[in-house]
Amino acid sequence: MSYDKKVIRNGRITMGLAIIANFIPAIYVGMHYDVMPTLSVILQIWGVVAASYGITWIIQPIAYYPTMGAAGSYIGWLAGSCGDIRMPAAAMAQKVAGVEPGTHEGDVVGTIGVACSVLVSASMITIFVLIGSWIIPLLPESVTNSFSYILPSLFGAIFVDNARKNLKAGILTLAAAMAILFFGSKLGINSGILTLLVVLCGILISRMFFVAARKKSSET
Amino acid sequence: MDINEIINSPILWVLSGLMVIASVSQAIVFLRNSLKEADRLGIDKPRRVASVRSACITSLGPSLAPVVSVLALIAVIGAPTTWMRLCDVGAARTELGVVSLMADLAGAEVGAESFGLEAFSYSLWGMALNNFGWLILVFLLVHRMNRVVVWMDTKYDPKWIKTLMGAATMGMFGYLLSNQLYTFDATRWVAAAAGGGMMLLLSTAFKKHQRLQELALGLSLLFGMFVTQLVFGQ
Repeated sequence: MSYDKKVIRNGRITMGLAIIANFIPAIYVGMHYDVMPTLSVILQIWGVVAASYGITWIIQPIAYYPTMGAAGSYIGWLAGSCGDIRMPAAAMAQKVAGVEPGTHEGDVVGTIGVACSVLVSASMITIFVLIGSWIIPLLPESVTNSFSYILPSLFGAIFVDNARKNLKAGILTLAAAMAILFFGSKLGINSGILTLLVVLCGILISRMFFVAARKKSSET
Repeated sequence: MDINEIINSPILWVLSGLMVIASVSQAIVFLRNSLKEADRLGIDKPRRVASVRSACITSLGPSLAPVVSVLALIAVIGAPTTWMRLCDVGAARTELGVVSLMADLAGAEVGAESFGLEAFSYSLWGMALNNFGWLILVFLLVHRMNRVVVWMDTKYDPKWIKTLMGAATMGMFGYLLSNQLYTFDATRWVAAAAGGGMMLLLSTAFKKHQRLQELALGLSLLFGMFVTQLVFGQ
């Protein structure tokens, strides 16, 4: 069997197994503790995550494919962190082996790099989680109390990080989101629909700036 | 049974480990295939060893970055789920985003008493369905991706696609942030401002080191939490 065919075969088998493993804890907890969400709730959950991340599901793997290749895509999307861990590791492996990215040699060596990076990052995460689960119960109360502020700090930091690149669109998006949530919750609108509304609003606002910038550059 | 015991139960460790095993064994299978193919292509052993070594060293730095987010996730959803979800598709920020959305749906609050079994179950389903989006797309499309890439490039402006992706992410975190802020609870405003401010500072300082971004996020998160605790501490 040719290398490329082997990549596809092994990639699809491991991806299929991962898809099964992906649902096992949710099914176990749902059945064992009798908290299985009903089908309509599961559909609702799917709707919320699709509204939030659906566009990324489709675009990201397509956008990274030319750089990651087939094997890199399988490993990279299952293990995650494509941009910040997998691609640098692939590029470095290609560089020291003296092969060109985009060639068959480059593809093969890039895969060596991506695969190694998964072994490293999975080991690190495992060590962190073990240390973390041992440390957290030992933390003083003042520290564990501050965990209730995790989400606002996190979302504040992430939003600033995103909006920094396009400040005006960022501020407008946040203002729109605040208005939608404030009035939406008063009217008792379902949170999944509110999520979708805010995401669409953010896209609309960015589209406005995108079109304006394109107009400006075509005028000059 | 205490919720903390449930989310850290031994069986959950084993079941969550299945995903870690899937990802690691996939990496091993591909590593073996590609090393063999590299040999066949005439890439000699010293070069193969060098590429393995440099890939490991390169990935060590960014692998250290999620150290803070790991603690945050363990505190919210327990160690086994954190282990599984950080070894697979989404980064810590994605998973915390999903957990927050799911808590909302279950009428609970993350990190509070109200976050019980039901909210945990919803969160597990949310994370599974979210990751499923990427996994199924890769499963279905990678072997015909060459055609898909050509199709997308001819049909859509690549610059707009990039903007669209950024906008969707921003809208999504705009929602999550507003969801914290719209009740005008002072503690949350302080936490968001402190976290955001620190992020602005650090990301400007780390501008040239893109890979430190995840660490910057972890540090900003800690800063936001501690400042709020200092200001409003009981």
